[in-house]
Amino acid sequence: MKHLYNRLSFQQKKAYWAWLFLAVPILFFAAVRFYPTINAAMISFTDWNLLTEGKWVGLANYERMFTDKVFWKVFANTFLYLIVGLPVSLTLAFVVAYYLDQVRFMHGFIRSLYFIPYLTTAVAMAWVWRWGYQPAPMGVINQILSSIGMPQQPFLRSPNQALYAVLAPAIWAGLGFQVIIFMAGLRAIPETYYEAARIDGIGKLATLWEITLPLLRPTLVFIVVLTSIGLLRIFDQVYNMTVDGQGGPLNATRPLVLNIYNTAFKDFDMGYATAQTMVLFLVLLIITLIQLRLMRSK
Amino acid sequence: MATVTIRNLVKRYREAEVLHGINLDIADGEFVVLVGPSGCGKSTTLRMIAGLEDISGGEVLIGDRVVNQLEPKERNIAMVFQNYAIYPHMTIYKNISFGLRTARLPAAEKDRRIRAVAEQLELTPYLDRKPGQLSGGQRQRVAIGRAIIRDPAVFLFDEPLSNLDAQLRAQTRLEIKKLHQRLGSTIIFVTHDQVEAMTLADRIVIMRDGHIQQIGTPTEVYDHPANTFVARFIGSPSMNLLPGAVTADGGLALDGNGPIAHPAARGLAPGSRVLLGVRADDLRVQSHTGATDKAPGLQLSGRVSVVEPLGPDMLVYLDAGLDAGTQQVIAKADTRQTLRPGDEVTLTAAPETLHLFDEQSGKAVAV
Ligand SMILES: Nc1ncnc2c1ncn2[C@@H]1O[C@H](COP(=O)(O)OP(=O)(O)OP(=O)(O)O)[C@@H](O)[C@H]1O
Ligand SMILES: [Mg+2]
Repeated sequence: MKHLYNRLSFQQKKAYWAWLFLAVPILFFAAVRFYPTINAAMISFTDWNLLTEGKWVGLANYERMFTDKVFWKVFANTFLYLIVGLPVSLTLAFVVAYYLDQVRFMHGFIRSLYFIPYLTTAVAMAWVWRWGYQPAPMGVINQILSSIGMPQQPFLRSPNQALYAVLAPAIWAGLGFQVIIFMAGLRAIPETYYEAARIDGIGKLATLWEITLPLLRPTLVFIVVLTSIGLLRIFDQVYNMTVDGQGGPLNATRPLVLNIYNTAFKDFDMGYATAQTMVLFLVLLIITLIQLRLMRSK
Repeated sequence: MATVTIRNLVKRYREAEVLHGINLDIADGEFVVLVGPSGCGKSTTLRMIAGLEDISGGEVLIGDRVVNQLEPKERNIAMVFQNYAIYPHMTIYKNISFGLRTARLPAAEKDRRIRAVAEQLELTPYLDRKPGQLSGGQRQRVAIGRAIIRDPAVFLFDEPLSNLDAQLRAQTRLEIKKLHQRLGSTIIFVTHDQVEAMTLADRIVIMRDGHIQQIGTPTEVYDHPANTFVARFIGSPSMNLLPGAVTADGGLALDGNGPIAHPAARGLAPGSRVLLGVRADDLRVQSHTGATDKAPGLQLSGRVSVVEPLGPDMLVYLDAGLDAGTQQVIAKADTRQTLRPGDEVTLTAAPETLHLFDEQSGKAVAV
């Protein structure tokens, strides 16, 4: 063995060690990711319910999805989380990062204020926000609204408002992370670009649009992809902020992941649950690929 | 085109003062080079003129207007940076056009000017390319293009050549000089390279630790350095500085060497400590030892330690036998002379080529 190793060239030895170290995560990935994924794909073609041995049902689970009103509602909710959550959270994070970058006074302190929610358990935060949304004497938010003379809002109890009420803490929790990444991206832009722009008399807004944002593109790609994936998989906030974790009222807040969870562990319909999981997987894959393509090109 | 006047300019970063009240008058159309070692405040001075840095004290005037409170764009200046600062995501055309962004000109006129500038700088074939596809020298020309398209009153250059290799540097240096001759505009140019300073400048400003050491034409600062710092900084190799003292009869004696006559020594009290400066070019190497006929001026004996051929001539490093052990002296010699390490030689220099400095203050002693 040793004899064999010694006969390898420099390049080959390098490759040997690289593969040796890579082997560990690759094996781990194969066992923990690829195998279950393939297994799930198989289960999605059965009617397995945990008790009886599942039997092959072909595309029945997928056909059922097409006619399932709840599935479509849940599918729409999931995209609403994404379509609203992505621009709102990105804009907020960028604005905060942009100004925080220029602030020297208590910079570290302010930055940690934004980051702490990211470190806090989603469950605890969800419950705090849930209380905050209560009617007046209990709920802080309604209290503030009525103290400034505005009508109280139903928030989590209104089918129209609940989704946004759930989305808010999710955005808030992710903000700190996005701000940090944005700031790192902003810092990486050489100061002389801005100085040259100042000398040429380019306005603040034009500098932002034509210099800062284009140069921030790699950072933007990264944040957009991560945030999209996060929003499409929203669960904790919904589970903890709605009655019995059902994603109500009237399924108004229920996202795909929660629906999968319910199908699997309340209805024990493993086949149908995995079929939905496969759909979510495909959606995530396609959206990520599209985003990478869109933002890398040019 | 305009004059630039700097009066008692001071820069403080919090407590630390890095510029201690400098004064400088730059004539219209003059090419002035600020030179000095790293950290002496060249960039700071330039950036205060540009308006990128607040002025802690004193005044900057462009033309006869005090510009202390004006934004960079209101000062009618253009600046070229060391790292070029051209935008990697824009084409060359777009980059150059940025200099005209705020100009109120019809689009066709802007286009005409951009193309004219590109033509001048030989950038026409690259107008549709991105900076990433250009060489360092071409990128620097783009940066210069963005500056000249504005037709500013004053050009500011902060070490624009230091990212280029030696050959390209010499070439771009020449282009900048031609540019100045053609445009006739006022240029303030920062560098830490004294060769660049000598070749480009109408006048050189030598700085050190936030003070100006000397202002003068290249010949003035080379022939009459105001102090030992300038003497060492300007010219390559550095001027030799040999310690000595003024003798009782108004002559000069190097430590451990015979007396020499020097006109300037007469103005000093006997016993004053001095440094005698002599450039390598002014030293003659005679490859035999012992006293030659008693010519006035400097005469030193020494032993060759290293010889560096430079092509037409060579640098000879010598250990001159002076009082406090040996002192290294650098001389220039003809390559036809055969000199080897270990050879005993005599160095001579004519009296008019000798410089005299006060050892304490380092200031030149006037004749
Ligand atoms: N932002 C700053 N805060 C504190 N001190 C600074 C700052 N910028 C520059 N300085 C100090 O000011 C002095 C002058 O700096 P400057 O950049 O003008 O030097 P320079 O002559 O351009 O040197 P170099 O040749 O290295 O570019 C230096 O001692 C530097 O440490
Ligand atoms: Mg500098």
